[in-house]
Amino acid sequence: MAATLTSRLFGQISSSVRNGIRRSYAAASGGTMTTQPGEEDKVTTITVEDKMDITPLTGVPEEHIKTRLVRICVPARNAMQSGTYGTRRWKIEFDVRERWENPLMGWISTGDPLSNTEVTFSSKDDAMAFCEKNGWEFFVEEPKKTSFKKKSYGDNFSWDKRTRRSTK
Amino acid sequence: MASRAVQQGFKQVKPILSTNHHEAKRRVLNLYKAWYRQIPYVVKDFDVPISVKMGREKVREMFNKNKHITDIRTIDLLVIKGQMELVETAQIWKQRPHIMKYFEDTVNERPADFLGKFYDGHDP
Amino acid sequence: MLRLWPLRQVVSSAGARFIPACQKSTAPEPAPELVEVFVNDKQVFVEPGTTVLQACAVAGIEIPRFCYHERLSIAGNCRMCLVEVERSAKPIASCAMPVMKGMKVKTDSPVTKKAREGVMEFLLMNHPLDCPICDQGGECDLQDQSMNFGSDKSRFTDIAFTGKRAVEDKNVGPLVKTIMTRCIHCTRCIRFASEVAGVEDLGTTGRGNEMQVGTYVEKMLQSELSGNVIDLCPVGALTSKPYAFTARPWETRKIESIDVMDALGSNIVVSMRTNEVMRVLPRVNEDINEEWISDKTRFAYDGLKRQRLTTPFLKDANGQLMQTDWESAFLAIARKLQGVEGSQMAAVAGGLVDAEALTSLKDLMNRLGCETLCTEEIFPMDGSGTDFRSNYLMNTTIAGVEEADVVLFIGTNPRFEAPVFNARVRKSWIHNDLKVAMIGAPVDLTYEYEHLGETVDVIEKLAGGNHPFCKVLESAKRPMVVMGSSCLQRSDGSALHFMVSTLANRVKAASGADAEWRVLNVLHRVASQVAALDLGYSAGVSGVREAKPQMLFLLGADEGAITRSDLADGAFVVYQGHHGDQGAQMADVILPGAAYTEKDATYVNTEGRAQLTRQAVTPPGMARNDWKVLRALSELLGVTLPYDKLQEVRQRMAEISPTLVRVGEIEEANFFKQAIEATKAGKTSLGKEPLVPPQQVLKDFYMTDSITRASPTMAKCVQAATEAESSVH
Repeated sequence: MAATLTSRLFGQISSSVRNGIRRSYAAASGGTMTTQPGEEDKVTTITVEDKMDITPLTGVPEEHIKTRLVRICVPARNAMQSGTYGTRRWKIEFDVRERWENPLMGWISTGDPLSNTEVTFSSKDDAMAFCEKNGWEFFVEEPKKTSFKKKSYGDNFSWDKRTRRSTK
Repeated sequence: MASRAVQQGFKQVKPILSTNHHEAKRRVLNLYKAWYRQIPYVVKDFDVPISVKMGREKVREMFNKNKHITDIRTIDLLVIKGQMELVETAQIWKQRPHIMKYFEDTVNERPADFLGKFYDGHDP
Repeated sequence: MLRLWPLRQVVSSAGARFIPACQKSTAPEPAPELVEVFVNDKQVFVEPGTTVLQACAVAGIEIPRFCYHERLSIAGNCRMCLVEVERSAKPIASCAMPVMKGMKVKTDSPVTKKAREGVMEFLLMNHPLDCPICDQGGECDLQDQSMNFGSDKSRFTDIAFTGKRAVEDKNVGPLVKTIMTRCIHCTRCIRFASEVAGVEDLGTTGRGNEMQVGTYVEKMLQSELSGNVIDLCPVGALTSKPYAFTARPWETRKIESIDVMDALGSNIVVSMRTNEVMRVLPRVNEDINEEWISDKTRFAYDGLKRQRLTTPFLKDANGQLMQTDWESAFLAIARKLQGVEGSQMAAVAGGLVDAEALTSLKDLMNRLGCETLCTEEIFPMDGSGTDFRSNYLMNTTIAGVEEADVVLFIGTNPRFEAPVFNARVRKSWIHNDLKVAMIGAPVDLTYEYEHLGETVDVIEKLAGGNHPFCKVLESAKRPMVVMGSSCLQRSDGSALHFMVSTLANRVKAASGADAEWRVLNVLHRVASQVAALDLGYSAGVSGVREAKPQMLFLLGADEGAITRSDLADGAFVVYQGHHGDQGAQMADVILPGAAYTEKDATYVNTEGRAQLTRQAVTPPGMARNDWKVLRALSELLGVTLPYDKLQEVRQRMAEISPTLVRVGEIEEANFFKQAIEATKAGKTSLGKEPLVPPQQVLKDFYMTDSITRASPTMAKCVQAATEAESSVH
C-alpha cells in the first residue's frame, strides 16, 4: 500500500516535471523521500492509535457528521413472508432529514445523501466500529428475542382441551 | 444512547509515507509552501476575482482546519490529497468554478441558532 | 367441512374439571430427556414431541412451508414441508411429524427436492400467472419458493382450453381484498380467524378441486384483527384493500416504529415511499404484540393525510382563523401572555402526545409559573393517586397473561381497547385453560367468561370476601385483576380504584402467589397517558375547570374535555397538534405539529415500557416536531428551554424519570401496600350506575382519536360494521 502510493505520487510529480512546468509545486511531498530501489522492501512500522478517525479524509460535510444519529439494528422480518434470511445481518440507519415535493412534478427530493446508504455488517461491533470511525453518534437496538414453543399436531384432536379444532 | 466508552489502544501499522511525526510535519510544511508559491499563478491562470492575499489566506484556513490531527497516516493521506489538488490546479485540470468553490461566496449561509433553523425548516 | 363434535361440549366438559394450568407448571417438572436428531448429519437435541420442522429450525435449516405458521395450529395440508427421513418409505410432512430418537432427516436430498418440485407443480397448476398485477408480487412466498424449489417447466397443458381453475371473489369487508383464484388452500386465514381472532367466520366449502375458502354467505369478516390475514396469506389471495395497486415492496423504505392507536405500543413497520406512508405492517415483539396488530393500527394511516394542520393559524379581528407564519404566531402568543400570571394559565395534553413534547410543555409552563398541567384522560388523583407507579401500570405485563390462571376484567372491553392484548388473553384461554371473569357490561370478548355483574357492588362484595367467585380467585395461583381506564373516567373513579386495589391486595395475599407476582393492572386506552403521569401531569381536567384560566395550552387535546365555558371570559387558547379536530376548533392560535410517523419520539405503553418511534416521513407543510415548537416558543417567551437537540431532551427526561429513556424495558413497580395505605384517607363513596365501557361493539372500535376520525378507511369500516349488525347472517 505504502509503496504503491509513494511510487504513484512520485510518478505524477516527475511526469509534471517532465512536462516542463517549472513551477514550484513539484517539491511538495518533502525532501526525505529519496527512496532507493530495494529500500522499499524493508518493512518498517509505526505506532498509531487503535481507532482511526477518518472524518477529515472522507469528504463528508461536517453537518452530516456531527449532527447525525445512527441506529444500529437487525432489520425486522417482513411480516408478509415466512423467510428469515433478511434478518441475519446488522445494519445502520440514519435519522431522517427533510424531504420536499417538487411543486411542478410532485417528485420528492431530499438534501440528505446519507438517507440512501444501506450498509450491512455481520456483527454489531463491526457496525459500531464503522460509526465510530466515521464520527457518527449511534445507538444499538438489540433484536427482539423469539421464544421457542413446542407444537404438536395432536393438539388439534385433544378431547379435553380448547386447542381442539372443530372446523377447517 | 451515545457512543460506547472509548478504549483507545495502540497498534503497529505500515506507514503510508512518513515514519514519524517530524517527517509528517515536514511534508505538511512542504505542501503548504508549494501551495503558497503556486497561488499567484492560480490567480493569474484562472482569472478568478480574488487577490493573492485572499488565496493564501484560504490556503492557510484549509490547512488550519486539520491542525488538530495527530494520526500520522491521516496526515499523510491529507498531504497526498492536498498534493493531488495542487497538481490538478497547477495543470489547469480544474476550472474556474472549482477554484471558486473554495470560497463559496454564492452560498447562502444557513442559520446556526435553534430559532433560525426552526423558521427555516432545516433539521436539526 | 370437517366437523368434530361441538367445541362447546368439549369446553364445558373441560370446565367441569377445571385445573388451572399453572398448577401443572409451578410443580417442578423433571427435565425431559432430550431427543437426538440428525438434520443433514448435523446432530441436534430437541425436546420429545417437537416437530421435525422445528428440529430443523434448531439446526438452522429453514424448511419451505405454506400452511405451517408458528402462531397457529398445525394443519399439514400444503405438503410443501416434505422431507426425506432415513428408513421411511415416503417423504414425511415435517410440520406435523414429531421427532423420534435417532431420526435422520435429509432436507437437501434428491428425494426431498423431487417431493418439493412435485408439490410446487401441483400448486402452480391451478395458480394464475398474474404476478405482474398481483399486490403480493415481490413479497410472495409462492413466488420465492417456486424460484427456489420449483421446476423450470410445467406439465400443465390446457388441452381442452378450459382454462385454469377459477374461483369467485368474496366480499369480506372494506379492509381485506380477496382474489380467490390465487388461493392455495393453506387455511392459515381460517385458523387465524377461529384461533386468534376468535370469529368463526371463515371456513372451507366443497372438497378436492371444488374446495373454496370463504364465509359461505356474503358477510364482513367482523374482527378487529382481520387485517392480519393479509400478512398470513402466503400468496396474493388476501391483500389489503386500501393498499391495493399503490406500491411495490422493493420501492418502499421500511421504518421500524411504534403504534399509538392504543396504549399497548404495538411494534410496527411503516412503509414509506415518496414521503408518504404507504402502509403499516406488524413487527415481531414477543412481549407486546407477538406478530399481530389491530385494524386501527394497520389501516388508520390514511388519516395522516387528511385534515392536517400544515401552517400556523391566527385568529384575526373578525374571529376568523387565518394562515400565518411561525414567527407571527409565536409573537401573538407572547403578546397575549404579557401580564398573564402563571396561575392564570393551564395546559392540557391529549392522547397521542409523545414524552418529549410532554417534557418540553411541562418545562415551559413551569418556567412561566404555571403548575396546572393536565391530561385529558382521567385517572384518580386522590390518596396516593399517581404518586406510585404501581397504581397506574399494567403490572403483570402483557406477556404475563400467559402465566396467569385467572383474569378478572373490571369495567373494560379489552377486545376493542387493546385488541392485541385480548388476542393474548384468548391464546391463554385456549392453551393454558385460563379462567376469565368480568364485571361490567356483557360484551363479546371472543372467548367464554364468567359474567359477575354490571354494577360496582360486585367489586365491593369481592373485596369483602362475600362473593362466590372469591373462592376461585383465592384458589388461583397467579390471579390478575385488570381494570380499564375507561371505568375510571366516572365521578367515583377514585373510590373504584381504591376498591379494586383492595381487592387485588386481598387476592394476592389469599392466593399465595410468589412475591414477584403482581395482581393489580390498569389497562389504559391512550398512548400518552403513562408518560404523562410519569412526568407529573395531573390526570383529568378538573384542575383546569377550577382554575378558570385566562390562557389555555392544548397539546393535541382533541376529545373535547375542555370547552370555552370552562375558561375565563375571553380566554386565549393555543392549540398545538397535527389534526384539525375539536381542539383546533376552539383555538385562537394553532401551531401545527407532527404525527407519530413524522417524529423520533418516545411513547410509554400501559406496562410502563418506553419505546421509540422512528420518523418515516417529514411533517407536512410548515408543521414541525412538537418539542421543537415548544422549544422555539419558549425562546420568544423569554424562558428558553435548555435543550437544542433530541439527545438533550432525552437527557432531561432521564433526569425526571430514568424509566423514560430505558427503551424497551420495564421497570418493576412494587408499592402496592404503601399505595393502598396512603389512599385510605381520601375515600369517596361508590356510585350505583353499571360499568359500561364506551366501546362495546365493533363499530365503536374504529374511530377513537383525531387520526382515526380523519381516516376514510375507518369511516368505511364503521359503515360496514353498522350494516353487518343489521345483516341476517
